Amino acid sequence: MTTTDSGPPPVVSSVDGERLAAPQPAPRRSPRRRRPTGGLTPYALLVPASIVLAAIVGWPLVQLLVTSMQEFGRAQVFGAPPEWVWFDNYVSVLTDPAFYAVLGRSLVFAAACVVITMLLGTLIALLLQRLPKGFRLLLSLGLLLAWAMPPLSATIVWGWMFDTDYGVVNSVLVNAFGLEQYTQHSWLIEPLSFFLVAGVIIVWGAVPFVAFALYAGLTQVPDEVLEAAQLDGAGGFSRFRLIVFPYLKPIFLITTILQIIWDLKVFTQIFALQDIGGIREQTNTLGVYIYQVSIAGGDFGTGGAIAVITAIILMSISLYYVRQTVKEEEL
Amino acid sequence: MRKLGIAALGAAAALTLAGCATTGSDVASDEGAEIRVWLVGTDTPDAARDYLVETFEEEHPGSTLVIEEQSWDGLVDRLTTSLSGSDSPDIVEVGNTQAAAFTSAGAFLDLTEHYDELGGDDLLPGFVEAGSYDGKFYAAPLYSGSRLVFYKKDALEAAGLSVPGDLDEYIANGEALAEANPGKSGIWWPGQDWYNALPYIWENGGEVAVPDGDQWDAQLSSDESVAGLEQVQQVMTNASLAPKDGNETNPQVGYCDGTTLQLSAPSWVKWSILAPADAETPGCPEEEANLGVYALPGKDGGAAQVFAGGSNIGISAKSKHPELALDAMKIILSEEFQTIYGENGLVPAKLSLADTLGTDEVAQAIAAAAGNAKLTPASPKWADVEAAGILQDLFVKIAQGGDVQALAEEADQKIEDILNG
Repeated sequence: MTTTDSGPPPVVSSVDGERLAAPQPAPRRSPRRRRPTGGLTPYALLVPASIVLAAIVGWPLVQLLVTSMQEFGRAQVFGAPPEWVWFDNYVSVLTDPAFYAVLGRSLVFAAACVVITMLLGTLIALLLQRLPKGFRLLLSLGLLLAWAMPPLSATIVWGWMFDTDYGVVNSVLVNAFGLEQYTQHSWLIEPLSFFLVAGVIIVWGAVPFVAFALYAGLTQVPDEVLEAAQLDGAGGFSRFRLIVFPYLKPIFLITTILQIIWDLKVFTQIFALQDIGGIREQTNTLGVYIYQVSIAGGDFGTGGAIAVITAIILMSISLYYVRQTVKEEEL
Repeated sequence: MRKLGIAALGAAAALTLAGCATTGSDVASDEGAEIRVWLVGTDTPDAARDYLVETFEEEHPGSTLVIEEQSWDGLVDRLTTSLSGSDSPDIVEVGNTQAAAFTSAGAFLDLTEHYDELGGDDLLPGFVEAGSYDGKFYAAPLYSGSRLVFYKKDALEAAGLSVPGDLDEYIANGEALAEANPGKSGIWWPGQDWYNALPYIWENGGEVAVPDGDQWDAQLSSDESVAGLEQVQQVMTNASLAPKDGNETNPQVGYCDGTTLQLSAPSWVKWSILAPADAETPGCPEEEANLGVYALPGKDGGAAQVFAGGSNIGISAKSKHPELALDAMKIILSEEFQTIYGENGLVPAKLSLADTLGTDEVAQAIAAAAGNAKLTPASPKWADVEAAGILQDLFVKIAQGGDVQALAEEADQKIEDILNG
């Protein structure tokens, strides 16, 4: 976890009696390659996990690919034989302007959510580290509760708070701040305002995870290093940038990947909000769009094609970050 | 760390997928069986539910019947996934306009040979048609409900108005009420509530979509339909203070807190309004004397052509106990069970039970409305139009004051894409 500060290669490789032995010369790889002593044991150990993975990840993936190349409607769900159409579904998706509108909307929205989540999560993690014990416990509890709240319940409650007629947000704005224009203000009818509310709900739900993960990492940053830097005159921000951030880089990477994946395919919050208000067509994101096309619209073939395209997009974004992580590891 | 990264990728892949396997179902032993019945919404009165459970369990000792209440929102989606799965409910209620999506897909058991046992020609003909496909009978009528206008008698009186005689007067009344009572809705009408807009289209001579050979021709942008849609916009912007993008659930809240003076809603909303104050969804029983009701008037007087809402009920093709499910279905269509619907203001599934509605104001309004009710386009894909939310989006935009002609043309295009797609 904290191998990122790996400095120069070790100068001492072993202690030979009283003397420090110099490291062996570098090209020792081939003589050092030991014969696999365990024979097939390592592979045998991998088999159970691979079977489980193939069953729960691989099989649905194959099914999805197959479906996405078929004309698969509601009748096929109930047993009619599907017609094989190869890439027709992909062509119809990729030539549909509605898809690009949804894709663009999802990317922008996810980017905004990820940035805000990471920023707030980091700040709260730093805050947690500095708070006295009692308040830290209180804040942790609050974060845990927000995290434990099922997204659907959270969305419904937030939806009530932003309700046009009876919502507390409008009520406070009108009665406490005298902003009369918020009387019966509809928060969801304008797409931008809709995504503001959706963003609040999503960030609110995602910040605790980031904050906890980073807080856990922060406790691993050695105090001596920070203290030394402080003595050398590094300010708070430079200490974070030059010491804390490099230490925590793997955590930042992983949490960012997860946030990107979660936010790009966000479903529950958008789906539930659309029912409360707003215009579906202008607020669809990838997750909701796939659901609408396939399950609600009964066109599983096209829905499958969109899902495959989404998966490819998610993977290519994530792969970049995974490569970064792996590189760090190999240093 | 590498493992975590890969696991994250795997999780992402797994969560993006929606695997959909259809497994065959075996007919299980009928002893000690559990029959699962899906009823939708709160329309079916508790008395009827109790009657169904008790009667079934009496007739079939050892077996149980469980009623699982579903919500109307997203029903088509849920039925698609649950009816095709191995854990399918045995009996399901489905909206009459949605039935074709499932009868045409083979989701329901063929009940043709039991047609006479279930009521035969006494069943509501429009609903039998909605539940039939390709000459076979799949889903029986459950009940029908018309939309009625509920109003506050004192508010109408205070404004010097009376029950309107035609559609124009109804609209004028709504506007006058809204004007006389700032901060209140003369006609409460949230933007997503598209069912209420249909009479305006039909009364002006328009249609949603008409068959054209083997294709459908969407008609919302015809001159007649647009005239109706403009009236809808007039009501939504001048008479209603309901949220422009709100949905029509819980209309009793505004009625009971006094901000709704009139509203058009299914007949059973009367019981939501009059629910005891300590009920799970409280109403305002003290308003009973003040609660007036009439059928929406048509353009030329009389009752308007309203949307013939209601439900069909079918047995899942994957039911593990089709015999027991059929028995339960017979109880549901029995005189006793259907009478409870009639007594609660819902039109029973059998013509011969029409007089169970009684003779009060509501009953007369229901009879007037039911006599002139119409349906949405009879296409198996109509359910997809509903599920895609095209009409909800259209009326939200109309409520916002958008250009009706342009919006109607846009919606026509989308409806045709789905119906002919």
